[in-house]
Amino acid sequence: MIKSTNFLKNFLTLTTFATLLFSCSTESSQFVGLVRDQPLDVSKVYLPEETNASPAEPFNTVAANGELLILFFGYTNCPDLCPTTLADIRAAFARIGDDAKRVSVAFVTVDPERDTAQLLTNYVGSFVDRFHVLRTTDFNELQVAKDAFLASSTIQKTSDGKVEVSHTATAYVVDDSGLVVDELPFGVGADGFENDLKILLREIN
Amino acid sequence: MMKRNMKLKSIAVVAVLTIAFTSCSSDSESTTEESDATVETEVASTEVAAEATITVEDAWARTSPMDATVGAAYMNITSSADDALVGASVDTSVAMMTQVHETTTAADGSMGMQEIKSLPLLAGVKTELKPGGYHVMMMKLVKPLVVGETVSITLTFESGSTQIVEVPVLEEAP
Repeated sequence: MIKSTNFLKNFLTLTTFATLLFSCSTESSQFVGLVRDQPLDVSKVYLPEETNASPAEPFNTVAANGELLILFFGYTNCPDLCPTTLADIRAAFARIGDDAKRVSVAFVTVDPERDTAQLLTNYVGSFVDRFHVLRTTDFNELQVAKDAFLASSTIQKTSDGKVEVSHTATAYVVDDSGLVVDELPFGVGADGFENDLKILLREIN
Repeated sequence: MMKRNMKLKSIAVVAVLTIAFTSCSSDSESTTEESDATVETEVASTEVAAEATITVEDAWARTSPMDATVGAAYMNITSSADDALVGASVDTSVAMMTQVHETTTAADGSMGMQEIKSLPLLAGVKTELKPGGYHVMMMKLVKPLVVGETVSITLTFESGSTQIVEVPVLEEAP
């Protein structure tokens, strides 16, 4: 009798503990960004990677083994959305610390005519250390990449010589198998990036 | 002896539970605190003001990356009387052209910008110029905006008044 009470007690304690743990982990693993049941597969997307040193080489938009890749469509003449997003990512990296070294950033220009390799490298490099700048002047090649991410962008030249650019301002987090595991819309701030990246980094540990 | 063991056991369980709880709650606490911090305090409207006054608060400009030709400044504007922001300018030693812009989202989710010729300011209501919304856009930057510097932005209002705002260059919103 004593034994069975003990067993019951232990069982109850265990159950309570498990429930607590579970509720705890669901709470802190709540994503700010969009997590699809069927993640977008971008494992077959290649875009030319520009470096200051050598001619562009195809870059597969997939994170390195055991890492994450944040991909963003933007342009350097962008004063608001692009620097805000990159600054939020930088702030999140600083808060995450050493673990953030497993996250790199890919910046795809939607304005390849004005964005030169050097401009892009200096622009993105002024925010983060581990980055890839992707640029193609081939409209179709860029379109294929945008389609894979369900992103869009337009460039309009007005009669007075101004260039108006619109673009999807979502930051896509890609894992090492080429799946988009999280999509952070503009406005989630450094808090949003920190929250989601911490969860994702824990998951791939 | 057996009893004592059980006591020890339950203490251990409680301890583990407490740790689970604490780690859990401290996590959620820190996030609430941070989100609270972003909530702006309301500015009390001065209804009995004899003359219309315009208050500009929390102004800042984001550092511009090297080689970038554009920059943005943000601030909160409150006018005691109905008015509108109709222009912004900076010295040509900073940027060759300055406009008030709004970032907008199209039906397909893509975001762009458009010039705002007149931004309405309702009496006593704080109008926020913030990332992803309204901003003062500086184009054809003469040199990069660097942390530690200040940019003088002249705001022009529909009522005819102007105001010069000293805007610090920062990496993040203040």
